[in-house]
Amino acid sequence: MAQSLTHGDLALPADWRDLFALTKPRVMSLVVFTALCGLLAAPGTVHPVLAFSSILAIALGAGASGALNQWYEAGLDAKMKRTAGRPLPAGRLDPQTALQFGVGLAAFSIFLMYFASNWQAALLLLVSILFYVFVYTIWLKPRTPQNIVIGGAAGAFPPLIGWLAATGSFAPLPVLLFLLIFLWTPPHFWALALFMKSDYAAAGIPMMPVVAGEKSTRRQILFYALIMAAAAIAPWPLGYTGTLYGWTAVILSALFVLLSVQVGTRTTREGDAMKPEKRLFAFSIAYLFILFGAVVADHWWPL
Amino acid sequence: MTDQTPETPEPFDEAEYRRRQRSRANLMAVLLIGLALLFFFITIAKMTILK
Repeated sequence: MAQSLTHGDLALPADWRDLFALTKPRVMSLVVFTALCGLLAAPGTVHPVLAFSSILAIALGAGASGALNQWYEAGLDAKMKRTAGRPLPAGRLDPQTALQFGVGLAAFSIFLMYFASNWQAALLLLVSILFYVFVYTIWLKPRTPQNIVIGGAAGAFPPLIGWLAATGSFAPLPVLLFLLIFLWTPPHFWALALFMKSDYAAAGIPMMPVVAGEKSTRRQILFYALIMAAAAIAPWPLGYTGTLYGWTAVILSALFVLLSVQVGTRTTREGDAMKPEKRLFAFSIAYLFILFGAVVADHWWPL
Repeated sequence: MTDQTPETPEPFDEAEYRRRQRSRANLMAVLLIGLALLFFFITIAKMTILK
């Protein structure tokens, strides 16, 4: 039974678990991990307290973005099975609380980043939050099937912010890591969109399979997987990483492309279990975790 | 979810109200203490680096 939010003028205070769910903790874990890898792969050493604080600031910034995204999309979330149980569409949280929580968390995360590291990292954190909320959530997502292609940049910022927090300046390696996540996002999300197509269609979100059809989406998954693989391997021949990362990238990217070929070349009928698509989606998450782990391992323990 | 009409509002659960208030207050206390410690240690770390 859903908990009633109000009784006359008296409103129930939001449960902290609902506020926590608002931050999209699972998405945050990937953001934190890639940011930590960016910070650890940077040259020099960072004081552990400052490193922890910077990563905490990135996590809070990601949480704020998630909260503001859920606040804006509460109506759409209510139409999709996957998201209908979230605190706002389920009626466990009022929109005003969600908005205040998101804005407050965003402001605090930027202040913490500035206090713990430098203004460059704080500025990029601000840009990434604004990009995710205004460019991706409000502007692109409801308008174009290219939403996650351009919007993917928001998720690609964390390793750059981590690197900036450690060094205060840009370098080719974090830019390549940014590019890797940017190119990884389309096959990752389109694999999800293929087996969640009906959900997205019901909510009226113009995801690629809904607008351009399955065949075109599958072709584009394969296309992006190929250029993503090239971007993933590039740091090795360019001399920014060593053999450990290089071979990890080669093997994992080959597997990624193989799974994408399966998805990209098949046709489905009504009621298909969509196993290759689910496999590609699950593998894509592991792929990014392992690859970023390899960047750090290669920096600290080169072969 | 029940199919209650606006004329018959759900009975107000005061115990739930108090439980949520208490859990939020406790969490806020822990967070504020954590933040105070975090800012203290950040300041010490920055002083160490400057030396």
